Amino acid sequence: MADNPFPLDREGLLQAYRTMRTIRGFEDRLHLNFAKGEIPGFVHLYAGEEASAVGIMMHLRTADRIASTHRGHGHCIAKGVAPHEMMKEIYGREGGSCAGKGGSMHIADLDVGMMGANGILGAGAPLACGAGLAAKHRGDGDIAISFIGDGASNQGTFLESLNLAAVWNLPTIFVVENNGYAESTSRDYGVAVDSYIDRAAGFGLPGISVDGTDFFAVYEAAGEIIDRARNGGGPSLMECEMVRFYGHFEGDAQTYRADNEVADLRASRDCIALFRGRVEGAEVVAAAEFDAIDAGVDALIDDAVASALAAPEPDVSALMTDVYVSY
Amino acid sequence: MTGSEGVVVGLIVNPVSARDIRRVVANASGLQIAERTNIVLRALSALGAVGVDTVVAMPDRKGVRVLLERSMQRDRNLGRTLPTVRYLDMPVTSTVTDTHAAAGQMADLGVAAIIVLGGDGTHRAVVATCGRVPIAGLSTGTNNAYPELRESTVTGLATGLYATGVVPPLVALVENKVLDVSINDDEVSDIALVDVVASTDRYVGARALWKTGSIVELFVSFADPEVIGMSAIAGAIEPIGRRDQAGLHVALDPKADRRVMAAIGPGMVERLGVTDWSRLKPDEARKVAPEAGTLALDGERELELSPGDRATVTLRTNGFRSLDVGAVMSWAAENNKNLTDQQKNTDQ
Repeated sequence: MADNPFPLDREGLLQAYRTMRTIRGFEDRLHLNFAKGEIPGFVHLYAGEEASAVGIMMHLRTADRIASTHRGHGHCIAKGVAPHEMMKEIYGREGGSCAGKGGSMHIADLDVGMMGANGILGAGAPLACGAGLAAKHRGDGDIAISFIGDGASNQGTFLESLNLAAVWNLPTIFVVENNGYAESTSRDYGVAVDSYIDRAAGFGLPGISVDGTDFFAVYEAAGEIIDRARNGGGPSLMECEMVRFYGHFEGDAQTYRADNEVADLRASRDCIALFRGRVEGAEVVAAAEFDAIDAGVDALIDDAVASALAAPEPDVSALMTDVYVSY
Repeated sequence: MTGSEGVVVGLIVNPVSARDIRRVVANASGLQIAERTNIVLRALSALGAVGVDTVVAMPDRKGVRVLLERSMQRDRNLGRTLPTVRYLDMPVTSTVTDTHAAAGQMADLGVAAIIVLGGDGTHRAVVATCGRVPIAGLSTGTNNAYPELRESTVTGLATGLYATGVVPPLVALVENKVLDVSINDDEVSDIALVDVVASTDRYVGARALWKTGSIVELFVSFADPEVIGMSAIAGAIEPIGRRDQAGLHVALDPKADRRVMAAIGPGMVERLGVTDWSRLKPDEARKVAPEAGTLALDGERELELSPGDRATVTLRTNGFRSLDVGAVMSWAAENNKNLTDQQKNTDQ
């Protein structure tokens, strides 16, 4: 093996690959199984966007909190939510992350700092402000991150959250995952000033943009803004420019995309292939090691699906539980 | 160029310059899209005032085109006259490829000059494909060692005065140096307008160059202590002008006794250890240190080197032509009095 020129050690590189591959394997399988009619409700897949979740989350502690989006599976896995529990949740089965009663858009696991995927666009940003305020009062250096899509960043809640985070100097970071489409609407038609960084500037926050398909670009930039937030430097915004391999939701015919657009993106901007190519090319990790991870992920997903299918649906008696919290 | 479109000038606006990590680590400024558009509108007003008919522009999907078209429509509603702005028919990738393609197409079209909004990296991308078409740079980037800070109205006026033939090329244009970078006998080749920095890091990551501990050497086409960036380090040792027939090579080592203070980025004043330096002669190929893992060109890590790669840097004095805005305005005022004449015409 050659000298390691990357900003992570070998174990870190393997972990990054394993997590990105787990997300990809999870999403690819959901794509297939949704088409078979196995999965209830809506499903929005994160395939193609893995470098953002993993490049950021590798800097986080368990106690750091994140607020996710409707496209939240990748954030969940990268933050440490168990894939088996997620699969059961998405299949609507007992043993799911939320007892099988939430589904894809409501996966949460506070034990690992995952405050929830969210079916309401823009609703995660105020939650991250709350978590950031709590962390600031505790003074323990924890931070909070709100992930938001480019379309949802038009929501008033997001803009209000930028303001609140700025005036209270919260350790809250806003990550705009810009895959170019608000559902099916290109940002050309939906955003008056097509720069998410400019929105941050309007509230006095620093904003940066990175290539969200380059794991190392995300990892390096995220390390800086997260350190800044941990050490009292306050909020900032990071735009990850990324690509979406599937439709807005499963079943989306994607007639708004150009011919061969997705095929071209898969060929040229697959963040996992790019990561693997560079690390293999530098002879830090051998192809066989990556192949072994691939095989392990496939087995994990097989088992997660099998366990979800084998699990019972929640009993009707559970319908009214978990609705209100008792103090 | 005068044809069916009259006098034509090119326009390349980088909508994503000044967006990198230096906003967070060094409070670098980030010019908002709306402000970039205002800069363009002011340049367009000036181009129109001195007779430029058409501006051929690079399309983008980052908001400049959308905002500019919206703003121009508002100006037309108000009865204001601007040159026709035509966008090149080209795919938009939102990468540096767009700039390369646009500058190449503008050169093929024979535009009189190209107005460029961006920093050192943007201008470098234009120069890579614009050939002998002169560029008029406006600084909207992070490191702006090459483009000067100027009001776009004046740059627009000067560009128009040259493009319409009022001011002759001998007065209006100047030659600029570049640094040619070659890896493994041109297996990979690239250019830098201002600086090439070799560091032991082996990944481009977030691209911007802001950590100096791993830098082993730098090559600059000019050495100016007044600018921001790596040229400032060289300038603190031995200033070399933009028109001088030389560059500078500087060897760095964090442990060196000799320390040099320089503004290596906005808000980033550092003291760096310097072990040696020497002048670069034109056309002399200098070998890059074998321990280099990454080459940064004009402030951004661009090229990753593998062990055993052979890289060289060569100073070239006829790299590209640019517009000397000050010279154009002075000449027009002193020799031709066109500024005064055009004012009279407008009044009539």
